[in-house]
Amino acid sequence: MSAAGDVPEAASRRLESGSFSSGLSATDFSACLQMGLRPVGLVQGFCAMQWGWYAAGSSLGRGLSPFGPSGGGGYQQNWYCPHGFVGGEHRTWGQNFEQTWVEDAWRTGFSAAFDRMLEEAESVGAHGVIGVTDTSRHLADTRVIEFHLLGTAVVVDGAPSPPAGTPWSTYLAGPRLAKLVEAGFMPVSVVATMASVRVWAYCITEFLMEGGAYGWAASMGSTAEIEQVSEARLAARVLAREQARRQLGSDTLQGIAFSAVEREIGAGDQVVECTLRGTRVRRFKDFDPLPPPRPTVRLS
Amino acid sequence: MTGPSDLPSGAEHRLEELRGGFFTSDLSVNEFLLVKEAGFHPLGFVMGSSIYHTGFQGRRWSKSQELTKLTEAMYNARELAMTRMEEEADELGADGVVGVRLDVNYYEWGSDAAEFIALGTAVKAEDGKSYRNRLGKPFTSDLSGQDFWTIMQTGHIPQGLVMGTCVYHIAHRGLGQALSSVGQNVELPNFTQALYEARELAMTRMQDEGTRLGATGIVGVRLEEKSHQWGSHTIEFLSIGTAVTKTGEVSLPKPTVIISLDN
Repeated sequence: MSAAGDVPEAASRRLESGSFSSGLSATDFSACLQMGLRPVGLVQGFCAMQWGWYAAGSSLGRGLSPFGPSGGGGYQQNWYCPHGFVGGEHRTWGQNFEQTWVEDAWRTGFSAAFDRMLEEAESVGAHGVIGVTDTSRHLADTRVIEFHLLGTAVVVDGAPSPPAGTPWSTYLAGPRLAKLVEAGFMPVSVVATMASVRVWAYCITEFLMEGGAYGWAASMGSTAEIEQVSEARLAARVLAREQARRQLGSDTLQGIAFSAVEREIGAGDQVVECTLRGTRVRRFKDFDPLPPPRPTVRLS
Repeated sequence: MTGPSDLPSGAEHRLEELRGGFFTSDLSVNEFLLVKEAGFHPLGFVMGSSIYHTGFQGRRWSKSQELTKLTEAMYNARELAMTRMEEEADELGADGVVGVRLDVNYYEWGSDAAEFIALGTAVKAEDGKSYRNRLGKPFTSDLSGQDFWTIMQTGHIPQGLVMGTCVYHIAHRGLGQALSSVGQNVELPNFTQALYEARELAMTRMQDEGTRLGATGIVGVRLEEKSHQWGSHTIEFLSIGTAVTKTGEVSLPKPTVIISLDN
């Protein structure tokens, strides 16, 4: 599979058979039928990527990385030691920087898997893919990350085929999707972005994270903000949001979920990764006011 | 127990009691209510079990491949447990089994041996019609009571819990291969292809089972991955879902908009 362009033979065989399969729960399935969507098959896409460099992120490489002050090309912020002395172990400067090459790799893996899923959907003549889930995880104990996208392809009976043949896609399914359509929006595409920010601690961050060897009586035991880390987390979220915004055009993003992971890679050093997921939606009709809700009280 | 056709004498005795009209079930109150609402009543809690020696299959260090012996073992073991459960249900004159759970247990006393167990609640239709599947057996499904009711309202009837499995060995990468792409984040097409294929095999096998039951489709498909006790490079991909047949139109009323006054 040199490019996204060929679905494995087993997949074509599965998708050609007459019956459908769907990852939808019974509730989602019934909501889907009520909306006039007919499930035609479970569709999926994969991409296994070599992800070697993470293990190399030791503090030994600090200051030796080729991605120094101007390497990454993205967000970058420096911190300098306020103490004015130079000791062998004393970290006189620190840096937060965006790891654009990691983001690029993530995007490559995600879009390859996403395109393959859409391709499967297209091959069964689907109009859209609902209830999409995506995962990326390390495979066994290898340095390989596998991206997996899974969704249920649906057909709107009697509707013309989608423009340019590409089905729409959404993370939503069932009642949540029904409510979106009820509100006058149609899903356009799944949007997912990932921002990766590396923190190289300077002396103060290192001390606050690890407890340093320099006996800072003043801050000992007190509560203080670790500014460098706060900034890195904020930056990761902002970057992920900016990336998503660039994909939107004039549409809006619905049902946004952020998830952030912090990976410790040395004394005070860490990588902050923030993933944003949502569904790009477009208004297709005016909002129909719903009937007034009936108040309920649960007796259990 | 040479074949799945003989149930232990304890089971016979228990089922005999259940035939008297007394029933056991693991349904919650809400589930019980909705199963009744769907026109079925519970007959009894049924189960099937199979202790299987899964054995060992040699694998080549650097080759990604399906381990067919293990695939067959995992499949047969589950199939045996399911069949025994179906037989218990059959003894009770059930139309189907709802809320089926399929578990695998490992015990300290048997290395390479695993117990596969299937549990569920046998139900019978109150309208006197037969809801058995086209093989003349009680249908099985992993749907909860609520889901069972919902599916029935969409004009679909469960046919059976269908599954497909594929045990796959993921190649270890040689030093040379790893070095040649060190420091790069690139796609590894062999890995992509191998795992894609493995999951597709599991899903195709599941779908073939559905087709044999004359199902229109499969709902609630789950794709599970387990390494069991084989080490991290050998993975079982299990695909499982409930096959359904369309028999009528959607009769689910349009949901009422509510606002909950609970916290």
